[in-house]
Amino acid sequence: MDKIDIEIDGKMVQVDPGSMIIEAADEAGIVIPRFCYHKKLSIAANCRMCLVDVEKARKPLPACATPVTSGMIVRTKSQLAREAQKSVMEFLLINHPLDCPICDQGGECELQDVAMGYGDDVSRFTEGKRSVKDKDIGPLVSTDMTRCIHCTRCIRFGEEVAGLRELGATGRGEHMEVGTYVAKSVKSELSGNIIDLCPVGALTSKPFRFSARAWELQQRNSIAVHDCVGSNTQLHIRRNEVMRVVPQENEAINETWLSDRDRFSYVGLNSDDRLTQPMIRQKDQWIEVDWPTAFVAMKDALTACIEQHGPEQVAAIASPNSTVEEFYLLQKVLRGLGSNNVDHRLRQKNFDDQDEVGAYPGLECNLSELAHMDSILLLGSNIHHEQPILGHRVRKAARRGAQVLALNPLKFNYHFPLAAESVVPPAELCDRLAGIAKALMETQQAPEDAKKLLANTVVSETDKVMAQHLLQAERAIILLGTLAQHHSHAATIRRLSRLICQMANVDLGWLTDGANAQGAWLAGAIPHRGPANSSLTAQGVTAHDAFEKALKAYVLMNVEPNLDCADGRQARHALTSADMVIALSTFKDPLLMEMAHILLPITPYSETAGTYVNVMGEWQTARAVVTPQGEARPGWKVLRVMGNMFNLPGFEYTSQSSVLAELKEQLDNASSSGGLQWVCPESLPNADKGYLERITQWPLYRVDPLVRRSQPLQETTLQDAVGIYMHSDQAAKLNLKAGDVAHIEQQGTATLNVFIDERVPLGSVYVPAGYLETADLSGGSIVVRRDK
Amino acid sequence: MAYLLSAEVRAEIDKWLEKYPKDQKQSAVLTALHLAQEQNQGWLSEDVMDAVADYLDMPKIAVYEVASFYSMYELKPVGKHKIAVCTNISCMLRNSDQIVKHLEQRTGAKLNGTSEDGKFTLKEVECLGACVNAPMFQIGKEYYEKLTPEKVDEILDGLE
Amino acid sequence: MKWIKGFFKTFFLWELLVGLSLTGRYFFSKKITIQYPEEKTPLSNRFRGLHALRRYPNGEERCIACKLCEAVCPALAITIEAEPREDGSRRTTRYEIDLFKCIYCGFCEESCPVDSIVETNVADYHFENRGENIMTKEKLLAIGDRYEEQIAKDRELDAKYR
Repeated sequence: MDKIDIEIDGKMVQVDPGSMIIEAADEAGIVIPRFCYHKKLSIAANCRMCLVDVEKARKPLPACATPVTSGMIVRTKSQLAREAQKSVMEFLLINHPLDCPICDQGGECELQDVAMGYGDDVSRFTEGKRSVKDKDIGPLVSTDMTRCIHCTRCIRFGEEVAGLRELGATGRGEHMEVGTYVAKSVKSELSGNIIDLCPVGALTSKPFRFSARAWELQQRNSIAVHDCVGSNTQLHIRRNEVMRVVPQENEAINETWLSDRDRFSYVGLNSDDRLTQPMIRQKDQWIEVDWPTAFVAMKDALTACIEQHGPEQVAAIASPNSTVEEFYLLQKVLRGLGSNNVDHRLRQKNFDDQDEVGAYPGLECNLSELAHMDSILLLGSNIHHEQPILGHRVRKAARRGAQVLALNPLKFNYHFPLAAESVVPPAELCDRLAGIAKALMETQQAPEDAKKLLANTVVSETDKVMAQHLLQAERAIILLGTLAQHHSHAATIRRLSRLICQMANVDLGWLTDGANAQGAWLAGAIPHRGPANSSLTAQGVTAHDAFEKALKAYVLMNVEPNLDCADGRQARHALTSADMVIALSTFKDPLLMEMAHILLPITPYSETAGTYVNVMGEWQTARAVVTPQGEARPGWKVLRVMGNMFNLPGFEYTSQSSVLAELKEQLDNASSSGGLQWVCPESLPNADKGYLERITQWPLYRVDPLVRRSQPLQETTLQDAVGIYMHSDQAAKLNLKAGDVAHIEQQGTATLNVFIDERVPLGSVYVPAGYLETADLSGGSIVVRRDK
Repeated sequence: MAYLLSAEVRAEIDKWLEKYPKDQKQSAVLTALHLAQEQNQGWLSEDVMDAVADYLDMPKIAVYEVASFYSMYELKPVGKHKIAVCTNISCMLRNSDQIVKHLEQRTGAKLNGTSEDGKFTLKEVECLGACVNAPMFQIGKEYYEKLTPEKVDEILDGLE
Repeated sequence: MKWIKGFFKTFFLWELLVGLSLTGRYFFSKKITIQYPEEKTPLSNRFRGLHALRRYPNGEERCIACKLCEAVCPALAITIEAEPREDGSRRTTRYEIDLFKCIYCGFCEESCPVDSIVETNVADYHFENRGENIMTKEKLLAIGDRYEEQIAKDRELDAKYR
């Protein structure tokens, strides 16, 4: 498209036709005051602050809603424009309270800033100002609606980005109010963004309320560490404390948004149960020791264990939120000791296809491509809860007209329409995938072994529709969510998806757990490959097997075993029977206090430099922004000294960057491994289990230790509360009703409230993980009965 | 939720829906709210508005926005007869204040309020376009014009 | 001639007499020395001395933790921490002035939107122990309570010039 010339304030600017004056001015660096205009939202033109003087126009025009035309001459600072802007400002200030001293927005308020330039120092308005009742819209956002200037950014955000039209403007004229009309909280995983959007102090952060002023805060760049997107953030710190988190604009990743999880998890950083001193257990007594003592104790215990049982009895399990440096050094220590039992895949149960994966599981496209897909199949993915930012991109695609398909064991309330949906019990997931594959076989070339495998598969109507959508789409992708990856036949699911991808010529994306699964693969925190995909002579055991086999010694890194592992009961059992459990942890987890022998305090992401690789394979390094609390130290430093203690070679690092450089050098020399190839599974799992199945997933705010400690997030009503969710028919079969308390047995037991939930397919119940109440449940069949 | 709307109301809304494109169901919201209001003793409860929202596939808040914007929709229960008195300039010049005072005395309801027996609601409205015969008020769908206190009594006597 | 004048001035101790006449004048004039601390010189109502936090007549503390004084303080002597009080209002949990850092410029008082932080006319105070130079919120409020009458009077005198 040819650019057209316009003149703004005497400056010639070349702009795209169809863009608005305000966009052209922004590009040229000419400031036009505005409140309702936001580049990521639709144009409302209702604040009128951006009125400018356009030659040959009879009156001032709003710059945000006036498209540029060739040869247009715009004056933003002429007398006419200034007078118009000043008049609008005067109107806006008529009903705006003068409570800047107690307003949290004070100092970073757009109205304050613009009023400095365009407002009068004395108001001509002598009548009473209006006041509006505040609304309670949940534990994250506090409201002072009297301050609202009706720019409607929050309303448009809800409709266009969050996908939940909950806020609205009710009433008319002076009686207009922004709110929910009926008292309810805003239930969105992106709700915190309305705090940033609000140009005044009507919507402010509740956890941050009154605690600091914008001018006291120092801004430091960082990375969000709760999902595999790696949103760019800015931590605002004061006196060595993280006070709040705001998004950093990165068009390629999070645009200008940030999920509530990434925004409010910081509250957990200063939780009371931070581990701040190395601790050793002596005769069931925890004593605080200094680092040298802890290291010596750790070395002696581990050496004794290896001498007695052999190094293969040692396993290291790391949280997938650890940094690349931590992963790399952890595997280096363990492999130096002679064990390959390193893993980060805490929640997966089936690893049969791990050798078939390329360099790392990830997304084969970038995020702007994702928003331009023509068809997207969500496979076992509650995407806007698992990766809220990706959920937004999928929604963008849907708004563009993409056909979104969903194949899930639960009926998720997506905030975009679905072209086709199958909700089947987990055991039938493979069958449905096989059905889609078989439907594709009618027109597409298929490998012989696949044809044989799917010989008995029955194709349903929905399968056919889905296959059609995938086939017709110019560009399509299958997104594997956590429910697919945590499945007990995850390997078959992944292989069948690969087959479908191959046949329909679509992309595949793995949306992995944690913030840094990609980094873990590349750094070698996997049992079957070394760093940089180097091959090993002997393979170690996976996280799941390590707990199943009940080894003699475990090194845990930021893992709360009962809450973070696929089988919390098994993990607990394995740790209880182990001779030595060394836990590197940020928090004093009660379970670790119960069964670990040595606790080494390591720092959370805000206190350590570290690198994260996101799902697109982008490397992002975050710096430490505050000093470590107490005696806690960055994980890579602790692991480095561990290496020194065992006299392992190559542990002379002086900085985090030297660790990273060593890994990067290996990666540069490594040959890239081949892409995903179809490997035929031996057989399809039998769907007819004949017993009640448990569907489980980690609710939005129960995914990692830090999030679980963020009180405001726990108070939201967005995530599934702990309980047993079942279909009303299922409940009738089990003779249960809503509000009952039921007893559930899955090797372990739990007593929980019953919720009737039509999202759950028959033949299964949904019990969320990540709660202490359900931590004792294991895998396999379950029994649910009424509690006596 | 749609059951809060009677079959007749739904049929009537359907008739209106036919006039608009299929993906523009919200176009019928004004009519739908009018019908729902008539069916629900002259006012719109949250349940009724939710039912309309569900029926038209609209976000609930969008329906609240519309209902709270227009003054013809009542968001609180009203009396059996809603008397909408015009107090705009033409009626005011023709002494609508006297009519309002008289109405208040006669019905026992304050302006913009409901009488204790729940029979009358007085509502102050802007110009209803009957200035030629000011002063005037509207009860239900009927206009009553060239009002005098005596005439008001007569009209009110005629009501149930 | 000049030489003769000089000779006689020296001879008759003229310079000494001139000097002594000044001494004599002050010796017999009204004395201005006062017996501090029993006696005090009058102070301007704008005198900037020890700080205080004021209250409203109903006993509610004025400070709303807007932190303007902290921001304006050129000596970085003020430290404030705040959070919502139980009733939801914005209040300080910590308000400290380091008197060793303070330069008594009065900016804090100028910036205060609610006339909470003020500088009283108390000029004589001392510390006996390390750490007493930190005026905590409790101390500042206590000073405010004690001198409220004087503080209010001083502000009133100055009000017409503001």
